[in-house]
Amino acid sequence: MTLTSKPLAALIFIILFGGIAFTTAMGWFATESTKEPTTFTEGEFAGLANPADIRGSYTFGDIEKSFGIPSAILAQAFSIQTNDPAFFAIKELEVIYAASEFEVGTASVKLFVALYNGLPLDLSTDMSLPENAAALLKEKNLTPEQLAYLDSHTIPNPAAASDSLEPAPVQVTESAPESASTEQLIKGKTTFQEVLDWGVTQETIEQVMGVPMPNPLTKIKDYCLEKRLDFEIIKTALQVEADKVK
Amino acid sequence: MKIFGKRLFRPRSIWIRKIVQWFFFLLIALISINHTLIENGGGIPFLSTASLHALCPFGGVVTIYQYAAVGTFVQKIHESAFVLMIIGFALAFLFGPVFCGWACPLGTVQEWIAKLGRKFFKRRYNQFVPARLDKVLRYLRYLVLAWVIYVTATSGTLIFAVYDPYFALFNFWTSEVAIGGLIILSATLVLSVFIERPWCKYACPYGAVLGITNLFRVFQIKRAESTCKADGACSIMCPMNIPVDKVKTVRDHQCISCLECTSEAVCPVAQTVVFTTGAVK
Ligand code: SF4
Ligand code: SF4
Repeated sequence: MTLTSKPLAALIFIILFGGIAFTTAMGWFATESTKEPTTFTEGEFAGLANPADIRGSYTFGDIEKSFGIPSAILAQAFSIQTNDPAFFAIKELEVIYAASEFEVGTASVKLFVALYNGLPLDLSTDMSLPENAAALLKEKNLTPEQLAYLDSHTIPNPAAASDSLEPAPVQVTESAPESASTEQLIKGKTTFQEVLDWGVTQETIEQVMGVPMPNPLTKIKDYCLEKRLDFEIIKTALQVEADKVK
Repeated sequence: MKIFGKRLFRPRSIWIRKIVQWFFFLLIALISINHTLIENGGGIPFLSTASLHALCPFGGVVTIYQYAAVGTFVQKIHESAFVLMIIGFALAFLFGPVFCGWACPLGTVQEWIAKLGRKFFKRRYNQFVPARLDKVLRYLRYLVLAWVIYVTATSGTLIFAVYDPYFALFNFWTSEVAIGGLIILSATLVLSVFIERPWCKYACPYGAVLGITNLFRVFQIKRAESTCKADGACSIMCPMNIPVDKVKTVRDHQCISCLECTSEAVCPVAQTVVFTTGAVK
């Protein structure tokens, strides 16, 4: 059988776009990781989205979809002024709050979402929230324990937003680069290999985790979920070790 | 057009390939722009918003090890890259590296610059590298491939993105692009004025993977010795400098299945250089 250019061109199109259409129909052609957090599997909250699984790559819009909290409220809580808060990626909070003494980032959003929706979240680690967020939460039915936690973990709004519940003038101009490769910060997608590369030994990692380290390419967060370890606690402890060897 | 078995008009090149190349170039360029627009709250309707990593079949190749070892993808790589890798292999198994010759926008851009080089240097174009050195350098891309697979497997991150000229070509306006990628892209574009497809020949790790299929692909470039006039036109026009006039079947790992050497384009004798599964005399 001999082929000339035109049938070859047709076959390339048919195989390529046919393959894409077929795999799309089968649900195999995902071009991004799902932005849906895992759900609680047991207890009174079974089936509801778990705030502990919120990731830095989520936007306020993704959180609105999974947790029903309007993007505008989230923008107000974190003093983000943008025309379209649904597109604000929460990984950018770290950049916006970089000047703050306490870290405001993905963990803060988890805390806000959990308290706003009355969902459980482990409060044994330190997570900070800006004043605007705390004010919004105080309108909710918080337990005395949650209120006490909130009071001790509230930090000032960024600069000009301190005395207002109005969206503060933190202007979002451009996205933070996806790969802040040089900073040694443990995040949801950090693998054991990255921590090893920063100079933390396998022995130290295993001491911190209390379990043997898996294949280094495994994401720390995935392994914590698998071993039912609290990622926030492990993350903080490993971060301390990583900072030591900086 | 044929009259009494003789062709009155013989195209010098495979024009439909140029159209297909334009199509893929524009498609990828628009998707890249759309990805940026979406991140900033805009977007072009009905067009994919995927990142370039999600649409790169080579992303699927570099993630194979991690997928086999821990069942996850390298950061920024998604299922779609895996699917495209499989489709790319299926196409290459049947037709050789048609991805390179017909679809890859970086290959296309190098070809566009080649036109300029041809205008300047005429027949000396694409003949500057001494043959012996060239022969050795052609295997360099397998070293690049081995290095990319090694660093990706040990780091679990897409380190090659920092050097990838393809990524730089479609992301030079974003903050994601790395200076290494821009330098390699610039070097590739400048070298293309002297050498046709320098990145493809000497460095592209994906071209290296696909090139292996030239050894066993189903449709092959074959030359009928009985009708061949031995004028060497096929070899002169081959962008990859393959001596088509010296072999019966092209099995060179560098062939990109562009069909430019065939009797449909540059070979002046009908049915002499063909793309076929069968035998030729
Ligand atoms: S060799 Fe690489 S850069 Fe060249 S066409 Fe093929 S995939 Fe594209
Ligand atoms: S041998 Fe023919 S099909 Fe292969 S690259 Fe050269 S011109 Fe293209």
